[in-house]
Amino acid sequence: MTSTSKPQGDEKTDQVHRVLLGKKQILVTEDEPLLVQLERAGIHVEYQCREGYCSSCSVKLLWGHVIYPFEPLAWVQSGYLLACCAIVKSDIEIAFFD
Amino acid sequence: MSYSTFNRKHFDSTKEPMFFGENVNVARYDQQKHPIFEKLIEKQLSFFWRPEEVDLSTDRKDFQRLEEHEQHIFLSNLKYQTLLDSVQGRSPNVALLPIVSLPELETWIETWSFSETIHSRSYTHIIRNIVNDPSKIFDDIVTNEEITKRADSVSLYYDRLIEMVNIYNTMGMGTFSIPGKGDIEISMPKLKKALYLTIASVNVLEAIRFYVSFACSFGFAERTLMEGNAKIIKLIARDEALHLTGTQHMLNLMASGKDDPEMAIIAAECQDEMRQIFIEAAEQEKEWATYLFKDGSMIGLNAQILGQYVEYITNVRMQAVGLEAYFETKHNPIPWINAWLVSDNVQVAPQEAEISSYLVGQTDNSLDDSDFDDFDL
Ligand code: FES
Ligand SMILES: [Fe+2]
Ligand SMILES: [Fe+2]
Repeated sequence: MTSTSKPQGDEKTDQVHRVLLGKKQILVTEDEPLLVQLERAGIHVEYQCREGYCSSCSVKLLWGHVIYPFEPLAWVQSGYLLACCAIVKSDIEIAFFD
Repeated sequence: MSYSTFNRKHFDSTKEPMFFGENVNVARYDQQKHPIFEKLIEKQLSFFWRPEEVDLSTDRKDFQRLEEHEQHIFLSNLKYQTLLDSVQGRSPNVALLPIVSLPELETWIETWSFSETIHSRSYTHIIRNIVNDPSKIFDDIVTNEEITKRADSVSLYYDRLIEMVNIYNTMGMGTFSIPGKGDIEISMPKLKKALYLTIASVNVLEAIRFYVSFACSFGFAERTLMEGNAKIIKLIARDEALHLTGTQHMLNLMASGKDDPEMAIIAAECQDEMRQIFIEAAEQEKEWATYLFKDGSMIGLNAQILGQYVEYITNVRMQAVGLEAYFETKHNPIPWINAWLVSDNVQVAPQEAEISSYLVGQTDNSLDDSDFDDFDL
């Protein structure tokens, strides 16, 4: 089973990045995917599988860089990210529906 | 251009388009044009489940205690799902296998269809458990006007594609007058257009049409009613999430031109029609919600909330195939549904601690604490 909650490699990065969402700003680490960190910040993100195969958690990525420790089965549209399995690698700005 | 079950030509299948290239000959997976489809196969196989593993004895008692209008909601959804999976258990095979050109995609289509037959068998399992005469329910599926209306829209594109491919395979290209149908033009662009719109309508079927029913099943389970049914629906929803990814890949690959340049042109021309397919389906599902709740709502759900959910999920699905979200509803009005839809092996909230233990062996819903009295720890 794909475990999307594990960081890649064992070494912990101390990197903290800013996620801009409208007027909100959330700090995230590279230790976990974006989805769980947004949820902890009280932000509702649509999801279903939480494993990268359903595309329900697709969110607009306006700018910035994310990576996928495991290539998701779902199609990732250009300009979007899959929150359940994306690891944030820089400051980013995201948006839900316009 | 008639179909052959073993094409004798020597060709490189990785150079073929997904559909309307050479008929597949050797079922080989050592070289693949679109490896995603084999990944979907593997995932689907890892999901394998059997309806009989879910115990429904408590559901029978629950069902008898439901109010009449709640029984109507429950049974109507079951009928609708039975219809959808009857279609899905055969149509990808019938419509797509004669025109597919990649071994990995051919096998995905078969694997996908097979999993639908599990869904169909699970409805019989559920219906047998809650009523004494299953025929009453099954027979109504072909006569109930609300259901047959739905049957028309879910089979329309499939049937048209199948008809066109039949003509193409027997007569080739040209315009043919078919008794009762008038003139039908068969050309590669027309065939590809029919295919593209069919895949869009299948995506809508699996990614939107099931969700009203899912919401109701989980709505009952939130009140600890019909929980065996909810377990089955959870397994079905997990499969469907994978299926919708399959059709999203097909649509996006077609539109990207990476698979077949001609298909990209057709996809671009079809954007409006595809949009209409999504919007119309959403409207039909909202109508369905109104029919479900005509005699009364259930706690936490009514036609209006479900209608908003349909709009919301339609927006999500439209975006996933590159369409602009159409509806105003930008928030999920029933966010609790996601905790039910999530795969069991991923832990979400503490209340979602339940795992797939029922997959290992049949669990007995009627166990109570005293059953464990003999256990010494
Ligand atoms: S929740 Fe399914 S892909 Fe992210
Ligand atoms: Fe199904
Ligand atoms: Fe399906």
